[in-house]
Amino acid sequence: MSILIGAESRIMIQGITGRRGHFHALQMLKAGNQIVGGTSPGKGGDWCHESRLPIFDTVRDCVDATNADVSVIFVPPHSTADAILEAIDSGVRTIISITGSIPLQDMMIVKSALKNSDSLLVGPNSPGVLVPGIANAGIFPNDIAIQGNVGVISRSGTLCYEIVDTLKHASIGVSTAIGIGDDPIIGIDYLTCLEFFEADPHTDQIVLIGGPGGDSEMRAASFIMENVTKPVIAYIVGESLSTSVLRPFFSRSGSLSLDTLGKKTGALRDSGVRIAGKLSDIPVMIKR
Amino acid sequence: MGVEHSMKLQEYKAKSILKDAGIPLPVSTLATNAVQVKRIAAEIGYPVVLKAQTLEPGRGRAGGVRIVQNEYEIENISNQIFKLVLNQHPIQFILVEKAFTFSKEYYFAVISDLDAGCPVLRLSEAGGATYLEPESFKNARCVDQPVDINVGLKDFQIRRLITQLGIDPSLWKQLQLIAHRTYDVYRQYDATLVEINSLVVTQQNQLFALDTRISVDGQSLFRQERLYDSFDPSYFGWDERQALKYDVDYHSFPGEIGCIVNGMGLAYLTIDQLIGLNMMPAAMIDIHGGATSTSIASSLEMLLSNARVKVIIINIFGGMTRCDEAADGLLQALGGGFPKKPIFIRLEGTNDDSGLDLLHKNENLTFFGTTDALVNAAVSWLRGEEQ
Repeated sequence: MSILIGAESRIMIQGITGRRGHFHALQMLKAGNQIVGGTSPGKGGDWCHESRLPIFDTVRDCVDATNADVSVIFVPPHSTADAILEAIDSGVRTIISITGSIPLQDMMIVKSALKNSDSLLVGPNSPGVLVPGIANAGIFPNDIAIQGNVGVISRSGTLCYEIVDTLKHASIGVSTAIGIGDDPIIGIDYLTCLEFFEADPHTDQIVLIGGPGGDSEMRAASFIMENVTKPVIAYIVGESLSTSVLRPFFSRSGSLSLDTLGKKTGALRDSGVRIAGKLSDIPVMIKR
Repeated sequence: MGVEHSMKLQEYKAKSILKDAGIPLPVSTLATNAVQVKRIAAEIGYPVVLKAQTLEPGRGRAGGVRIVQNEYEIENISNQIFKLVLNQHPIQFILVEKAFTFSKEYYFAVISDLDAGCPVLRLSEAGGATYLEPESFKNARCVDQPVDINVGLKDFQIRRLITQLGIDPSLWKQLQLIAHRTYDVYRQYDATLVEINSLVVTQQNQLFALDTRISVDGQSLFRQERLYDSFDPSYFGWDERQALKYDVDYHSFPGEIGCIVNGMGLAYLTIDQLIGLNMMPAAMIDIHGGATSTSIASSLEMLLSNARVKVIIINIFGGMTRCDEAADGLLQALGGGFPKKPIFIRLEGTNDDSGLDLLHKNENLTFFGTTDALVNAAVSWLRGEEQ
């Protein structure tokens, strides 16, 4: 049915009493997930008033009491690495960090800890994982997608919404949509998701959304060439800048890396991936 | 998307940090005028190197780095440097440094490998300007050593770099010390890069860090209070300063269309669409996920008061950003009245129904269901206006 999460997932929320954690716990409940509880240090033993979810002081307490195997993190950036490490230490299998802008070296500590564990990290700066009609672990707007056989992977959260919404308007359904996150250092990358989708019997084709910065799309291209038999459609946002007079304005700001601009579509095309010129072209490229 | 919040420190600041960490550097002092430069040079002893302090690229080409042999020419050269303006940034400081003669130069750095998610030590034979020249760099030996941040840098890892490059054993001890201290600076200051280029061997067989560069992680500044005075607010334009205040990203362009989006992905999508229609934005404001009504209101005010902006696009697909809050912010900025400029809105996602209900109270706004339709409409309006 899906990858990373499914109907049987038992989802907890770290930072469940915060403004965002609380709001999205309610949204996720509306989506029909099994939300089993959450943490808010110092408020353990209490219950969330609106959602009637139990609150625990630590992730271990929550896991012991509820068998949670997925955790969605909403704590502030300066304590996010600690929250992820706590989830790893408590044996949570799938950890999803909605919070982004994590200090770089904090993420290096997390990456090192992940290597010695069985946990998978989605994010940081991820919209979460969506299995339409089944589970919504994150901040995907509800009713944004319908069930189907297209797997979606995107670095950008907003573009992940944009594509599943565009597909929905064309009556095309999604098996699982994953926002892998847009921080400089992230947990699972395109490769892991492609591998899962390749193995998932309910996914027949894959849509990959990329963008400027880093070279993860280049590595995805070589991985697809070697390991993926299912058809892949890709859209790399921002490629128009490669030939545009606007390019220097982005380079000058110094905050955007455009080194690989223009190279990614080429590499993906060489790997047999079909390239969409516009995001809104994707529905007509999908095999019905 | 692909945003790297890395901030380069001024050279003098980087050098004072490394000096405090115990890394051998040439004697240097900062000066603000030619008289000071002359006095400092006399104390240090000629020859000296005068280095314009700037974060802009092209300092060397512009004549911002000069070797001065004697006191007769120093004031003249200093004044020339103080008159330089690089990318609209005038030179305010000169670093006066003892000039060095050396027999060999290396490149040494602690860099951040974002894909592997770990620090990497890099040592190369191609020191100095050679490191930046692709051809000579290709022929030079360059070795990398990843470090597990939870284990820390170990002696054997430095030895591996040293022996791979065949560095003379008489330098090992000094290099070990420099490597450890550089790595410590990288960790203590939340750096993304600490670079010594070049690391030179003097005729007395001493290692010296001749030029250094430190970039720090913008996401870690909250715990790096000692760096707060290193960032010069005059470095940003008015709009960028406003943007910093309201925690939004502001990119300025030469066009006439002002855009507000919630995320770099949507920003690039909007730009792709505009470029496809041969149009340019005037400004792109990214309010990020989960923005408050205040930051949205201030963003709209910035666009309304920017004379170059003729038409405004608001493209929000809310996940963490709640559409009702976004709508509230837009109404705050508009009041109930007629907007000074046409505003085209696409508002979708979390709480979009209540957000749109709010906005429908102002009858002067136009709404669209997709990015394509939104951008097309704004561009058509602008073209109609131009005819």
